[in-house]
Amino acid sequence: MRTSVTRVLTGAAGLALMGVGASLLLDVPDLTGVVVWLGGAVVLHDALIAPLVLLIGLVLVRGGARGPVRGALLVAGALTAVALPVLLRPGKPANSSVLPLDYPRNWLLTLVAVATVTALVLAARRTRRSRRRPPS
Amino acid sequence: MFHSGLAAAVMGRMKSRFFPPVFKGGLHDARTATSIGRWLGLAFVVCFVTGLISHVLQHPPEWLADDLPSRPAWGYRLTQGLHVASGIAAIPLLLAKLWTVYPRLFAWPPVRSVRHALERVSVAVLVAAAVFEVATGLLNTAQWYPWPFSFVPVHYAVAWLVAGSLVLHIAVKAPEIRAHWSRRSPGTLALPEEDGPSRRSLLAAVAGAVGAVTVTTVGQSFTPLKDLTLLAPRHPDHGPQGLPVNRTADAAGVGLIPAERYRLTVAGPRPYTLTLDELRGLPQHEVELPIACVEGWSKSAHWTGVRVMDLLERAGALPHARVRVVSLQTRGGYRVSEMGHEHAHDPLTLLALRLNGEELSPDHGYPVRLIAPNRPGVLQTKWVGRLEVLS
Repeated sequence: MRTSVTRVLTGAAGLALMGVGASLLLDVPDLTGVVVWLGGAVVLHDALIAPLVLLIGLVLVRGGARGPVRGALLVAGALTAVALPVLLRPGKPANSSVLPLDYPRNWLLTLVAVATVTALVLAARRTRRSRRRPPS
Repeated sequence: MFHSGLAAAVMGRMKSRFFPPVFKGGLHDARTATSIGRWLGLAFVVCFVTGLISHVLQHPPEWLADDLPSRPAWGYRLTQGLHVASGIAAIPLLLAKLWTVYPRLFAWPPVRSVRHALERVSVAVLVAAAVFEVATGLLNTAQWYPWPFSFVPVHYAVAWLVAGSLVLHIAVKAPEIRAHWSRRSPGTLALPEEDGPSRRSLLAAVAGAVGAVTVTTVGQSFTPLKDLTLLAPRHPDHGPQGLPVNRTADAAGVGLIPAERYRLTVAGPRPYTLTLDELRGLPQHEVELPIACVEGWSKSAHWTGVRVMDLLERAGALPHARVRVVSLQTRGGYRVSEMGHEHAHDPLTLLALRLNGEELSPDHGYPVRLIAPNRPGVLQTKWVGRLEVLS
């Protein structure tokens, strides 16, 4: 397998940038905490988030409307992930301009919007399909 | 993204009926990974570059400190808005990308060669650092700090790990990326044709997710979309005088400073002190400048006050002088900020006394605050009591 010079140089540049990051990390006083959080990020994803997503897909995404249902779950999941900090942050915010909105209500609004759009897409599909095949 | 047929995820005995698990669902392929990966790569590049800009503006290295540009006035507002928006957009992209390649975690045998082992280690670093960066960044925008370390230096250091391991990953995967770059690439054509519509539907859903999280958060800095701001930690209309704040007068330990006791000291070759009435009597200028916070929110406002360049000239400062701005606050960081000559002598840089036609509220720095173009919000020092000409 031929490995081009550009490829090797790019890889070396990547290693150099990683070296910058590692040397910056060595200056951090509580390095153990950082390593635990870095490892925790992988474990959280690989052992919890990913299997959970696969399980939800296995249970919910089936039948004739796989694409739109999968899309709806994906968009709703992304909105939920982004909303988690504003939904769950404990303690009182620093002042009234921090987290000023009614986040549980807004989050539910976004989910309702996703459900509505999905229902419309499915309805439009069904109409198109029935028009294409008029009842004999 | 959700319909993988995970036959078994029970990690029992090595190489048993259950391990490694079999993924029967489609789209765990290199074409899907390439399609999502290049958008994720773009988001990370934007996030990294804008993050570097923010870092340099906030913690300039010695050799650069005096040459930071004060224009464009909206520069930091744009770059930091992009930083947070690209980081948020990266969340669905990263999750979708990791879902696509998840079966590779269970590659069998786990290690084929030294080179393969190193590659897997570099991917582990990339995944750890990428998930860490988007998670800590998002939590920081909500001012939630559940970790034991200091956010800024660690978020900065790990950003280099992401950038480096991403460049390395692209170098390692270059042949596969090339083989699956377009719909007509040889690798793509070798994949099952019936996956095509499903893949397009998945990619459309990922694009929809990026759009949804962007539209519901970006209004915190892109004010035309402020009415769609549902999930952002800030809203441009919420705050004293219709402008968000980070540190209040109470939190800074200043409270309401009595007008008759306020003095501004300007230290330089010809030092002097001004009362608040004397400051109000100097030529007033009105500028429109944004407050742009490192946490991503920003809003433009009209500020009225005295030009810093006029105050410096009266103190006998040279045209290339740097300046130190000292707050009367007694608590919290960023009590002192410094400006290079470009910011100090920019006609837009004011010691502001009024905000949108009203006297400053205590939380916005009454009686006097700094407002300068292309400058992070934390360095727009409030409750200014002293200007020092440095050189």
